[in-house]
Amino acid sequence: MANARALDKRRKSIKNIRKITRTMELIATARFKQAMDRASAATAYTDRITGLVANLANTGMELSHPLLESHDEQNLALQLVLTSNRGLCGGYNGNVLRTASETWQQLTEQFPAVQLEVSGKRGVTYFEHRQIPMEGTFLQFEDKPKYEEVEQIADRYLEAYATGAIDRLDVCYTKFVSIARQEATVETLLPLGTLVDARDAKAGTEESMVTGGKKTIEFLPSAEAIVEEVVPMSFKVKLFKCFLDAAVSEQVARMVAMKSAAENADELIRELSMTYNRARQGQITGELLEVMGGVEALKN
Amino acid sequence: MATAMETGQNIGHITQVIGSTFDVEFSEQHLPAIYNAVKIKSTHKGIDLNLSGEVQQHLGGGRVRCVALGSTDGMMRGQECIDTGDPVSVPVGEATLGRVFNLLGDPVDGRGPIETQERWPIHRPAPAINELSTSTELFETGIKVIDLLTPFVRGGKAGLFGGAGLGKTVILTELIARIASSHGGYSVFAGVGERTREGTDLWLEMQETEIGQTGRKVIEQTCMVFGQMNEPPGARLRVALSALTMAEYFRDTTGKDTLLFIDNIFRFSQAGSEVSALLGRMPSAVGYQPTLATEMGALQERIASTNKGAITSVQAVYVPADDPTDPAPATAFGQLDAFLYLERSISEKGIYPAVDPLASSSRILDPQYVGDRHYRIARRVQTILQRYRELQDIIAILGVDELNEEDRQVVHRARRIERFLSQPFLVAEVFTGKPGEITPLDDTIRSFEEICDGKWDHLPEQAFMYVGAVEQAEEQAKKIEANV
Repeated sequence: MANARALDKRRKSIKNIRKITRTMELIATARFKQAMDRASAATAYTDRITGLVANLANTGMELSHPLLESHDEQNLALQLVLTSNRGLCGGYNGNVLRTASETWQQLTEQFPAVQLEVSGKRGVTYFEHRQIPMEGTFLQFEDKPKYEEVEQIADRYLEAYATGAIDRLDVCYTKFVSIARQEATVETLLPLGTLVDARDAKAGTEESMVTGGKKTIEFLPSAEAIVEEVVPMSFKVKLFKCFLDAAVSEQVARMVAMKSAAENADELIRELSMTYNRARQGQITGELLEVMGGVEALKN
Repeated sequence: MATAMETGQNIGHITQVIGSTFDVEFSEQHLPAIYNAVKIKSTHKGIDLNLSGEVQQHLGGGRVRCVALGSTDGMMRGQECIDTGDPVSVPVGEATLGRVFNLLGDPVDGRGPIETQERWPIHRPAPAINELSTSTELFETGIKVIDLLTPFVRGGKAGLFGGAGLGKTVILTELIARIASSHGGYSVFAGVGERTREGTDLWLEMQETEIGQTGRKVIEQTCMVFGQMNEPPGARLRVALSALTMAEYFRDTTGKDTLLFIDNIFRFSQAGSEVSALLGRMPSAVGYQPTLATEMGALQERIASTNKGAITSVQAVYVPADDPTDPAPATAFGQLDAFLYLERSISEKGIYPAVDPLASSSRILDPQYVGDRHYRIARRVQTILQRYRELQDIIAILGVDELNEEDRQVVHRARRIERFLSQPFLVAEVFTGKPGEITPLDDTIRSFEEICDGKWDHLPEQAFMYVGAVEQAEEQAKKIEANV
């Protein structure tokens, strides 16, 4: 039977860990709520934009914009990986980084040069450990990414793409599907490809029907001018959405991870308590037996 | 028994029988000395009694208290008891080879009486300080975990500690198969308080195993002494000494390297505690005899290498309730050069030999004896496993994902090392279907070095189970891949 004091010490340290994980769980729950609200607010905005674009598309005119077309020469790809600054969120970072590594492999095969930008300390240390050089790192994004900060990055990408400095932008992040499901995904944001994918188009047309189902809309000053404005806007919003999704997913992942951690700790504490009690009882019984045996032996 | 009187024998009468001890009254002028053997031979109501005893205490007056070395069934007060005038002695010499004895030196293998020139008393002094040999040389076993982490000493003592059912006896038989079969000298096996069946198995196996390519059987170089579980405590208390005496003869007269295997030294202490209270001693910690350390010391100090010859000894030590702080294993522990601690949690993972790489150690795991490289790699392996053990609570609570990159790599390698410490045994071949692996020390060191360096990180964990050198793990990985 193991040493009772050592067991008790171990149990105490696990109780401390449990306290931490339980607190983290509660904090993550609160933060998740906020992040979720922000994400849904942004979703409304994105829907609006896509609705607008869909309306544009419905006019039947040819939409063309440099951001929509891929470059003739494919020289340099940029990969952006969104991870968290903090740990204790289960497989959240692990999953994103695994996907990111795979994408990195594919991109290095396709392109002569690939650049890597990483957001979040966890991702930075991961790539440092693997000795993959990073062009840029962002550590300022916490659970509430600011639009202004994302916009700066977005502007830089837009310019780089427009000047031909980069030929493709892939973003690896955790997509928030529902509370029970988050997926580590890769999205190609540049070139934007088609502005209206099937789902968005449907949403857009539905909206147009709600707004009266008019087939002809008058654009002022002109449809081209609006496209000029809306395409970069659409990119920025998409990128922002990635950051928001990542933030929400992080909180969900942390909530779940901490909940199961607290449960695991409970389980360990229960087992340790049992062993401890048994060891303690054994010790007492042993000592009693020795005393009684000694007395008996002295009697003879 | 008037005849006995006439031949001038010293005769006493039994006055009391308590369990496996009995009191005899002699005349005060002819009191038998301590450790003298006494004999009782009588027939009463058709029951034959042929019992030896050993004098343990003088109770005052003409009375002495003796420990029975056999069953006391059928004993009664008033029976005659003859003082033999000498301690129990056993036959020694080459004639004992190939034979099986009980603690009194009587053959029990049914091959007739034994003819020897000499009989030596089983109580003898330990070699003097100036006779002891000081050379320290590594004793290669071909078992990876032993050679790397707990190297045995030639002419030294090694202990196998472990709770019930962890494979002490299997490792001991394996060592006999490995060492005795390639060994030029003599071997002595002492079965102390273990299963009789295991003794028989071993005996039969020794009759089949050949020594190297010589065409001679292992049993021809071995003698065995048994006092198993069914024997009374007195027998289990003395059988180790009988075996040791035979080994001492080989050491002192032939000068050849002698191997002494004892299974299980704990039973020796246990037998001592069984008779201790009957002898009227006050129980000490955990109910053991107060003379625990004395008894163990008297036995262990005699197992020594002298300038005449060497005794290399491997002893199994049962650890009651998996508690190594129990006085009996703790006392044995201090006497050994190398000790292997078998751990239940490792055997539960299906890793055999279930040696705990962190709790086991050896006196000669020191750069001075094994060389810098061996020492460095052994320590590296231990460091990795130690870190893994520290991380285990965290992994249990938070999961592997929470570890940083370095720790994750440590865990990754530790899990491979842990499995790589397993090894197929020669004696387990019939059960596992895998031929036993004898891994040379150089291969062992190189394999562990490469694993620590991360050269084999890509192989699946399962590939490291039950292989010899690391190249076999690679082959096994290919096989696993092919099967999937």
